[in-house]
This record gives sequence, C-alpha cells and structure tokens, in this order.
Amino acid sequence: MKLPSLGFGLGLRKEHYNAIIETSPEVDWFEILTENYLVDGGKPLHFLDQICEKYPVVMHGVSMSLGSHDPLDMDYLAQVKALAKRTDAKWVSDHMCFTGVDGTNAHDLLPLPYTEEAIKHVSNKIKQAQDFLDRQILVENASTYVTYKQSHMSEWEFTTAVAEESDSLILLDVNNIYVSAYNHGFDPLEYLDGIPAERVQQHHIAGHSQYDGYIIDTHDHEVVDGVWDLYAEAIKRYGEVSVMIERDDNIPELSELLAELQIARDVFATNYAGARNV
Amino acid sequence: MSDLYRLQKNMMAWLTEKNEAIVKPDIVDTGEVNKVSVEQRLAVYGNAYGYRLIDALSDNYPAVHTLMGDDDFYEMTYAYMAAHPSSHFSLRYFGHKLEEFLSEYEKSEKGLPIYTEMARFEWSLRNAFDAKNTKPLTLESLQEIPVERWGELKFQFHPSVSRVDLEWNTPQLWAAIDEGADPIAPEKLEHPYAWLLWRKELLNYYRSLDIDEAYSLDAAIQGSDFSSLCEGVCEWIDEEHAPARVAGFLSQWINDELLVEIKLD
Ligand SMILES: [Fe+2]
Repeated sequence: MKLPSLGFGLGLRKEHYNAIIETSPEVDWFEILTENYLVDGGKPLHFLDQICEKYPVVMHGVSMSLGSHDPLDMDYLAQVKALAKRTDAKWVSDHMCFTGVDGTNAHDLLPLPYTEEAIKHVSNKIKQAQDFLDRQILVENASTYVTYKQSHMSEWEFTTAVAEESDSLILLDVNNIYVSAYNHGFDPLEYLDGIPAERVQQHHIAGHSQYDGYIIDTHDHEVVDGVWDLYAEAIKRYGEVSVMIERDDNIPELSELLAELQIARDVFATNYAGARNV
Repeated sequence: MSDLYRLQKNMMAWLTEKNEAIVKPDIVDTGEVNKVSVEQRLAVYGNAYGYRLIDALSDNYPAVHTLMGDDDFYEMTYAYMAAHPSSHFSLRYFGHKLEEFLSEYEKSEKGLPIYTEMARFEWSLRNAFDAKNTKPLTLESLQEIPVERWGELKFQFHPSVSRVDLEWNTPQLWAAIDEGADPIAPEKLEHPYAWLLWRKELLNYYRSLDIDEAYSLDAAIQGSDFSSLCEGVCEWIDEEHAPARVAGFLSQWINDELLVEIKLD
C-alpha cells in the first residue's frame, strides 16, 4: 500500500553534511545512499545520526541486484535491515536491473530483458527481499542504452507487471524515462500512461549529459526543461508523490540544489489538479 | 541454462573481458534511432565499468594515483580489475588486494616498491576512517587499578589502530600529496621505520615510533601483559627504568585514545 508523501527532498551528500547540520535547510526529507553507511563507524554514521534526528530519511541502494541470476546477498540485506532500523527509514529502494552475475559485481545498473521469465525471476527476488526486510520495497526504473532481442514488451509493461506480481512500489525516475525515451525512441508520455498511479511512491529528478545521438544519466548537471515538463506530466497523472533532486557528481553548493527543489515545488503547484483551492 | 542467465553472462563477458562478439548478437540494432550503433551502445556500459572502478580505486588510494600519474594508474587499474574483479556489494572493498597486487606488479616495467608501500599506508588510513566507534579508556580508569597489580594488566586497542613498518619516506610523501604541496621524491631509508595509524574521534592520525615503543605496542596488541612489556624493553634500557618507560607509553596511548579497555587476569 502506498505510503503518505514526504514532500520535497534531496539526496544526502557528504559535501553538505555541515551545511545541513548548521543551517537546517527547508527540505522535507533526505534520501541516503545505503552503501555509504554500511560501514562500522567513523564520519559517515556520525553525520547520518545527527541528520536523522532532524529529518525523515529514506534509503536508496544499488546492490540488491534484483534481476541477477545470482541469489540475494543475505548478508547485505541483513545490513540494510539494521541500517533501516537505525535511521528509522520511511522506505527502502533499489533498481530494476542486475549488477553482476556468478559472484562478480560490475557496480553498474545493467538492463534486463523484458520477458515473462525475467518478470517471474525479478518478482520472486523482490518478494524474498520484502519478506526479509518486513516491508514493501520501491524499485526504480534505470536508464538503459541497449535493447535486447529477447524483449517482447515495453519497459513500462515490464515494470508494471513486476510491481503487480511482487506487490512492490515504484520509484519513478523522471530523468531516466526522459533519457531512455531519447535513447530508444519511445514516447515518454506513453510510458507515464502505462504506469499504475497507485504504486508510484517516489520520483527522482536529475540532470544528464547529452552526447551525439544519445544521453547518459550522469546526474552531474542541473535539471533540463524537458525533464521539468515531464515531471509536470507525472504530477497530472500520479498526484502527490514524494519527489527529490538526485545529484551524484559535480556536487554544487547546497543553495543551488535548494533552488532546484523550489522549481519542483513551483512545477507541482502549477500542475497539481487536486491542489486545495483556498 | 536459462535465457536470462545466458544473457547476463554474455553482458558480463563484455564488461570484464571486453569481448563484444559474445553479447552483440543479443542486442537490437536500432540504427534508425538517433543513428547510434550497437557498438556505441555497448561502449556506454563498457566505459562506465572501467571508469567506475578507476574512480573507486583512486578514492581509496589517492596518493598511489598521484605517484603513478593518470595513464599508468588507469593501466594498472585495468590489470588489477582483471586479476581481482569486485565481488563485494560495496565499492569500498574493491581495493582490498591492491598492496598484494602491486607487490607482484613490481616485477613489471611499470611497478615500483614505493607504490606497494603507499598502498599499504593508504589502506590502513582507509580502514581507520570507518572502523567501529568505541569509547576510549580514560586515565582515571587506569589510576583505579592498584599499582601492585599493574604487572597483570592486558590491553584492548581501538579497532582503527594499525602498525606498519615502512622502508620509504611514504608518510612524508603522502602528506605532501594530501596538502597539495610541491612533490617530494621517494626516498629509501637506511632502515625501516615503525609507524602507527589510528583514528581519534573523527580524524585519522599517524606517527612514527621509537623502537622500544614499537616493540611494546606490538606485544600489547598481541596480548602481552604490562610486566612482559617491562621485561621486553630491557633490551634497550636499564631494568630499573623499564616500568616508568612503559607507563609513559601507556599514558601516551590513553592520550591518543588508542586503548579501549584494560583487563586484569
Ligand atoms: Fe534515480
């Protein structure tokens, strides 16, 4: 079941620890990168504990490898569960992808074929993870650069089928849809139309890099107008959904990200049909 | 073998062996979309794999990177990732075999002993950075122990503590690189120096040790009691001054927050 929206958030980055603790910026919540805090002690956990006292947090990981033929790493999941308890995480997310196979980790979000076999496989692993973590998880659409010949349905059909089969929630990354739509030549609005609103729990909004003929989701630039337009379309379809700016590289001053978050608020106010008319 | 498994093996073969032929037949040629070829599409993943691991290794070994320079560091990392592909869920541990790898690499044209030693030094710093937090021992808790029982005292050290013996001016080189100061030349010393690395609260520290302190620290870490340390240091000083000398080390260790517990048998 969908959880209440947390509002407008930011990805927590170490460059901003001090600014956040000293200035308590107007951010409704923070998303933490799970793996950065799966350590024994020291600075990362020291700052995280302080931030958790002031803000709600959610956890975003890259290591469940939900699509991999390899079984789930239960040691990893146990650490995820412990961190979720420590931070009182409102939810836990990972990606629709595999990150490696036969014990080798490529540390990348590698694409899955959109097949019945893959739907079953990923759904089973999501169910196992949810049982172990004792909560529904969110699965994010990764941006992709190749299409497999085996795929015989669209990405949104696949995403929806997995979410329904596993009864999981969706972290819909608006930038990733924009990137994949460009790279594969599909209509991003058709994608949005194909996703069940009742499962969309969170959005990522991010920047990317444009190359000759393709886009890579580098998360190292400001958000482009096309992505804001697509976010506006998402609001019309899904209503009030927790949203955040995801910046992973070329990290600017906190104030710059706060300004981008204000744009998100403005886009929401303009496009949310259910906005209270007072 | 299931279709899904086969496809995943093929994709990984592309990333780890740079063998495009295996996975290429699985990829749709969307030449009509933005005129991007299958090779270009696969290269997005192929390049990202290398860059991500280079970044991770550079993150944990910034001084090894600086000493080698970009080109040699990239070349070394590609060789390292082929020899030790990542198997841990976290990139934090990708470099755990680098010292071992570099000591073999010394036999190649591009390897040097200073790289190996710098890797050992930086990995100790890395481990100190996120070692478990534990409450340091206070001078008061030591003073509560009656002096006549000091001989039986054994010591428990902070998880961040590590001891390395270095044959080069590695810590000085590291400091110059870390501060962005003018580069200094690697220099082999007349004899190895003992170094201690640890974390106090949130910051990493390191210092060199006199020979009798290095001996005492190593023995105490191994589980020797106070009286054995006093016997041991007699190799360098008079027996009558030994207890005061070791007690001096103890108070320094407490001050440095190296100790977390003292135990009486
Ligand atoms: Fe994302």
